[in-house]
Amino acid sequence: MAKIPVTIDDKPLEVETGRTILEACKENGIEILTMCHLEGIGDVGACRLCLVEIEGINKLLPACTTKVAANQVIKTKTERLKKYQRITTELFFAERNHICAVCVADGNCELQDLGYKVGMDHVRFPYLFPQANVDTSHPMYVMDHNRCIMCTRCVRVCSEVEGAHNWGIKNRGIEVRVISDFDTPWGDSTTCTSCSKCVNVCPTGALWPKTVVQGQLVKQPKMVSELVAKRKMNL
Amino acid sequence: MKKKKIGTVWLGGCSGCHMSLLDIDERILEVVKLADIVKCPIVDQKEFPQVDVALVEGSVTSDEHLHELLHVRKQATCLVALGDCAVTANVTGMRNYLKKEEVLNYAYVEAASNDKEGKMPQHPALLKLHEKVVPLQEVVHVDYVIPGCPPSADTIFYVLAELLNDRVPNLEQERKLKYG
Repeated sequence: MAKIPVTIDDKPLEVETGRTILEACKENGIEILTMCHLEGIGDVGACRLCLVEIEGINKLLPACTTKVAANQVIKTKTERLKKYQRITTELFFAERNHICAVCVADGNCELQDLGYKVGMDHVRFPYLFPQANVDTSHPMYVMDHNRCIMCTRCVRVCSEVEGAHNWGIKNRGIEVRVISDFDTPWGDSTTCTSCSKCVNVCPTGALWPKTVVQGQLVKQPKMVSELVAKRKMNL
Repeated sequence: MKKKKIGTVWLGGCSGCHMSLLDIDERILEVVKLADIVKCPIVDQKEFPQVDVALVEGSVTSDEHLHELLHVRKQATCLVALGDCAVTANVTGMRNYLKKEEVLNYAYVEAASNDKEGKMPQHPALLKLHEKVVPLQEVVHVDYVIPGCPPSADTIFYVLAELLNDRVPNLEQERKLKYG
């Protein structure tokens, strides 16, 4: 595979063509904040945390969906980016009802960890306190829309890896919601195979098994990444 | 150095943050070397006095809390939001998705323990609940925040020690950030 020269954070690098900026950073030990990205499923650039600055381009571009091009000069850790990462994180918390004290994922939550990483001690925006439902109709799992950050990992893993296409999305903006089938109760789904992949890849306490209580949730998002990698081996 | 004054107040919260404050145990002796605790929920004094550091637990849920918080803001040089309720509204904010009347009705009239004889309390001396519960920073300027439900005693002691020694605490740098 042909290699092209790029500069990331003042480091001159040789990267294979066709790689995304995120892949190039990972291969070279450059850390980038991500939330909607998960190894093994397709990237959509939903969370905007991996935005990077590219010299000569006015707007910030997501590292997960932007491919490297020859002689690009990329910056991943500028003050401007850090400012936006903090704002993005605060907006996640302000948009829905994230109450860590009563959440199953407390202490094992990618959103909490993100808050600590960007140094969020409080949210500077007014909380929206939207009315969001909790769907407990599935015999084994719960979907709590209060805690959903619309990363759409569940939607993608369900269609791309399980092939069930149970999860979808309705509405736009702050009205946006993840839906089961045609916006019917999850328990009534004719497509869900109860495989638990969505539950394991969900970064927050939005999807969880009924067997856990507050602070007890342990997720295995890497389980999906490993499964996808093994399938590609054609054993 | 002149001895400083600390005051603490408990608004819309569960007192858990004050319990966590007590959990600093013998380190309270370090604190009282540097400052007098002139007001807290067990000090019998009506008005919140002038202080250098005010620790405010809980969110703003009613006219009484709003009045008290505005008063504390005037009296305090440094106002610290103590705990998740003060910083994010937390559990106290969970009634924000419902109408105030629904919440009151459920607590006083419909609750099973009321044996169908429950009445809405109407006494004029009672506080009036606001329609929405909000964290402190939506009402007054907050100088410092300590998130956590409750914040750990170590974190509270760290912040107090820094403030009383005229330093600015940095929870991020000290890896002491915690929600929930």
